Order: sequence, then structure tokens, then C-alpha cells
Amino acid sequence: MRRQLIVALAAGAAVAVAAPLFATPDRVKLPEAYKTDFVLYNHVDRPDRKRVRFMYVNPEAHAIAEPGKVLPEGTVLVMEDHEAAVSADGNLVLDKDGRLAPTDALTGLFVMEKRAGFGAANDLPPEKDNGDWDYAAYKADGSPNTEAKLENCFACHMSRSGRDFTFTYFKNVEDGLPK
Amino acid sequence: MKGLRVAALLTASALPAATSMAEEIPVTMAGMAYAPATIAAKIGDNLALSNDDSEDHNVFVATVGHAVDLGTQKPGEARKLALAKAGRFEVECVIHPEMKAIVEVQQ
Repeated sequence: MRRQLIVALAAGAAVAVAAPLFATPDRVKLPEAYKTDFVLYNHVDRPDRKRVRFMYVNPEAHAIAEPGKVLPEGTVLVMEDHEAAVSADGNLVLDKDGRLAPTDALTGLFVMEKRAGFGAANDLPPEKDNGDWDYAAYKADGSPNTEAKLENCFACHMSRSGRDFTFTYFKNVEDGLPK
Repeated sequence: MKGLRVAALLTASALPAATSMAEEIPVTMAGMAYAPATIAAKIGDNLALSNDDSEDHNVFVATVGHAVDLGTQKPGEARKLALAKAGRFEVECVIHPEMKAIVEVQQ
């Protein structure tokens, strides 16, 4: 019994220590009007998951983002996942350019935001230190996705530390994304 | 198996756009490098991307108009990317940023 109590306490302590390492949706909000106010700058086909991902950036950041420079503080990127259309015979539906055809069915939302102080507050180990970026996940209805493993966001985006931890936006700006 | 099924679906879906001259262009990943690193193709061709390396890879394109994420490929897995649109794009690996290939698709 005592041993079980110790294990339970240890587990509780571990959670208490680990919890602050990764942000919750409390800090990174889902911008309410992103669909109308943000710039839709790219969409990424995800055929293995039968998804299409729409990529948005806030207009304030997009107006001042420059090729080759780290992204401005206050940059907010929203990734909106939709189910891709599938034909009656089970094949993914493609448009004339071979791109997946998105449906209106939203499956989830992911937000990454860059704010001064986020990095210091995260206090992450070097292998997961994404600078001043923080992440949040939301369900299709806009409520926080508390089951999302945000540590995976930090770990995966580390591979793009050379372009400010973004897979698409920094490169797309470098490539001459229109203002 | 799932990867092969997705590849088959993609290939099957792309068939109407393909011509009799369409080619399958093999691309390997051994030693954490795409080979060939520069690829000239035409509309209707397919890239046959095989992970002949000893670790996972994840084909990814960020270029606007061509952006795609093929998901994680375990060693030994192969996936296809149908080329249905002209243009130039860069193939990356989600996991290994140093892996890059340039693809130029012409009419």
C-alpha cells in the first residue's frame, strides 16, 4: 500500500513537473476570424491520411515578413485540416492539377504563435527548444483539443530550426509569396 | 501495406491524366540523400520514391501549388507521387532537413 502511494505520488510529481513544459491552449488562442481575416497562403495534400491542410497566416505578420529573416514576433499560423474527397470506388478525388479535392468536413485545427517570452516560459530542453514559438490544438468545433500531444509539435518542428521552426511559411516567403 | 495502398490509389487516380509516354522515375533515399537530386519530368510521370535507407523518411514538398506530405516511410517502403502540374518544386524530408531534391515538371 505504502509502495503504491509512493508510486502515485511520484507519478503526480512527474506530471506536475512535466506539465509546464508544454503549453496548453490557454496561451495560444484560436483566432476567431482567421478564415476571413488571415491570409490563406498554401495548402498541403496529405494523401496517406486523406486530408487537405489549409495554411493561414495573420495579415499583420505577413505584411512585414521578409525573405531570409526570422519571422516577426506576433506571427500566428493556423493549419486547418479537412477530409479529402473520396470517390465511390474508394479512390481519392483529384483536381485537374492532381491535387486532392478537399471537403467541407473539418477534422482539426492547429495553431503556432510566436511571442516574446514564450520560449523562456516554455523552458524546454535544447532538443525541443522552438525559440519563442508555442503550439495549440483545437477540435473541429473550436474547443481545445486537450488530448493532443503538443510535445510532438515541438519535436517535429525542431527539424526546421533553420527556417524559424516552420515547415511552409518561412520557405514560402523566401520563395516570393505575394503580399 | 497501407503506404502501398495509398500509392496505388494515387496512381489509379492519376491514370486519366497520364499518357502512353508517361514514365515512372525512381528516386532513392539511401544514405539520407535523394537520388537523383535533380529530376526533369513531364506531366503524367510519377516519382517512385523508395526508402532504401536504414531509417524512416518522410517526403514533403512545401512549394505553393505543389505542397504535399506523403507521411512517414519505413525502410523498405515505397510511395508514388503523381506529377500532374507543370512547375518547379523542392522535395524535402520532414525528419531530415538536409535531404533535398529539385523537380522540374514540364508540359
